Amino acid sequence: MRSIRFFLLITLLATIVLVNFVAALQGYRGSMSEAQRLFDQQMVATAQLLSTMPASQQSPEQLPVVVEHTGPMAFQVWTEKQALLMRSVNAPETPVSAFAEGYREVNFSGFRWRVFSHYAPQLPGWVLVAERVDLRYQLADRVILESVTPILIGIPVAGLLIWLILARGLGSLRRLAAALQEKRAEDLHPLPLDNPPEELLPVVSSTNALLARLQESFERERRFSADAAHELRTPISAIQVHAHNLERELTETSAAEKPDSLQKLQGSVERMAHLVEQMLDLYRTTPDHYPARFERVDLYALAREVIAEHYAGFACRDQQVELCGAPADLCGDRFALSILLKNLLRNANKYSPQGGQIEVAVNVLSERDEVELRVEDSGPGIAEAEYARVFERFYRVGGDRHVTAVEGCGLGLSIVQHIAQLHHANIRLGTSRFGHGLSVQVRFPLVNPVGENSVSESMQERATKNV
Amino acid sequence: MLLTSVIIILREVLEAALLLTILLAMSRFIGLNTRWFLLALALGGLGSIIYGNNLAAISNAFDGTGQELLNAGLHIFIYALLLITTSLMVINYYRPGCRLSLLKWCMLLAVMSSILREGAEIYIYLYTFHTQPALFGSVLKGALIGAGIGFSIGALLYYLLLALPERHTLLITCILLTIVAGGMCSQAVQLLIQIDWLPSQMPLWDTSALLREDSLVGQLLYALMSYEASPTPLEVFLYAMSLAVMALTLGFTHYVYRSHAHVPAVAH
Repeated sequence: MRSIRFFLLITLLATIVLVNFVAALQGYRGSMSEAQRLFDQQMVATAQLLSTMPASQQSPEQLPVVVEHTGPMAFQVWTEKQALLMRSVNAPETPVSAFAEGYREVNFSGFRWRVFSHYAPQLPGWVLVAERVDLRYQLADRVILESVTPILIGIPVAGLLIWLILARGLGSLRRLAAALQEKRAEDLHPLPLDNPPEELLPVVSSTNALLARLQESFERERRFSADAAHELRTPISAIQVHAHNLERELTETSAAEKPDSLQKLQGSVERMAHLVEQMLDLYRTTPDHYPARFERVDLYALAREVIAEHYAGFACRDQQVELCGAPADLCGDRFALSILLKNLLRNANKYSPQGGQIEVAVNVLSERDEVELRVEDSGPGIAEAEYARVFERFYRVGGDRHVTAVEGCGLGLSIVQHIAQLHHANIRLGTSRFGHGLSVQVRFPLVNPVGENSVSESMQERATKNV
Repeated sequence: MLLTSVIIILREVLEAALLLTILLAMSRFIGLNTRWFLLALALGGLGSIIYGNNLAAISNAFDGTGQELLNAGLHIFIYALLLITTSLMVINYYRPGCRLSLLKWCMLLAVMSSILREGAEIYIYLYTFHTQPALFGSVLKGALIGAGIGFSIGALLYYLLLALPERHTLLITCILLTIVAGGMCSQAVQLLIQIDWLPSQMPLWDTSALLREDSLVGQLLYALMSYEASPTPLEVFLYAMSLAVMALTLGFTHYVYRSHAHVPAVAH
């Protein structure tokens, strides 16, 4: 069944048509036989009337009396000795039927007639009244058909009414489907369906119960992540402090160089700390979970801040970072955007060689209503075949996810993609203008409809709290 | 006039509607799109108008037996198409996706031929009365009632077939199509007897007292299995033969494909 409404319309209409039409046919049959009975009664009345006519009192030379009567009816009045006393002008001079009481169907004057033969003792003689079968049938047909016509006209009207009633009746189902369809992945609030009909109540209740369970489960997961982050960060920081203390103690007590194993330990702890931070960022920025707070953000100013924050990293590798473009306001989440910039800049920093060049450009593309963020490095770049895969979690170019000359965990571009999705932005990878590096273009829409709503919602929330 | 009109139109509409709805339900069951059906409706409708407009030429052909011969030919053609269609349906049950385009064409041609035949009868009947205003109103209303009853039975049968449990759908549609196909052969035989291509004989039995041909149930049975109250021995024999040929072909196909089935029937 493709459509409930169409199925109900067709089956209901077919049932109504079938029942009504068969009933109409039965009614037609019944009415026709009743009409025939009435016509027969009319013939009996005519015969009785004719039997009281004084035709027999006429002189023999004036007989038979011919009555100027032309219509669906004809008649003859005969004596007992079968002499014609009277006839209508459309009746022949010979008997139209046998002289025996009752109804018969006979042919004369080119038509089929129904004849009623009646013996009248007062004449005494026979009265034969005939009526054209085709005309009485047509007359009855015409009268009865008038009662069939409204049924025929009523069917399309019934179809239209059923269609409209079904639309009204299935309205709740349509609203439920729309509410489910419009629901954003992160929206786990109960379905906003007031007074659902009895039939939909189980569906709405179970969906709302499911949403509540999901909400609880997400909440548990969120709490677990926060706790895990806290629990992991503290020991990692402690290890880092102890390793630093150990390094100082060793260098203070002996003139020997820092042991190799300590250097490796410090490197591993740093990578672990970075991995934990990246995993938390990846989780936090998942569009389905992220509690975005959209506001007006100048991406150019934000890029300047992030570059300044991480300037030490560029400086220690003698890299030249250039920020071009102009202030560009967009509707976005400041925290998420700073994570996006941090990841792009960190990648550029890692993969550009010592003394390399990095360019960050922020431009408003007014003809497309977009803001473009472009980060270009002078590193080895990525082969075009790898473009799609670099956004996969833990994927690292070259296929080796664990051993590489450049430190990293393969989550940076996945986080960038999450934040781009959150802002309905497009990411394009390409070759940088330095000829061999990677160019990452992220284009944000100037107006983010979801974001605008979130801004107004958050403003509303604040206003409510103030009240 | 109304009752005569109802009976004539109901008979024609029912005949086409049964075949149409069974094939359409089968098409949905196999998962074919229904574009073939719309094309068949359009071609059949167009064909019936051409047939109706050239009735005189067709009737005068073959020494005045052209119309009967053409109709008998159409019925036998539909029988052959139904034989292929049902066999392909059985094959498809065990090997999904096998020769689907052939199946679609067979169904298209069967529906088109059926509409061509029945549509032409309706067109000719209504065209005969359109010059008699006194009767045309009654004839038209009768035709509407007949068509309404016919289409309603077809629509309800369609949804009934779709509502059947999947494991029974193939069996029931094959049985129905075998009966309809047998009816096609029987009608062809009746037409060939009318033009003396086959000998006319004394009726084998007469069940008109039990069930009149012009009653609603009689018409329904006529449409489904070409019910005749007083059939001749030859008609009965050929009807039984046509049913047996189709049933044996389907049984054989079922046996061959079930034993070589790559996909278990229950997984379909």
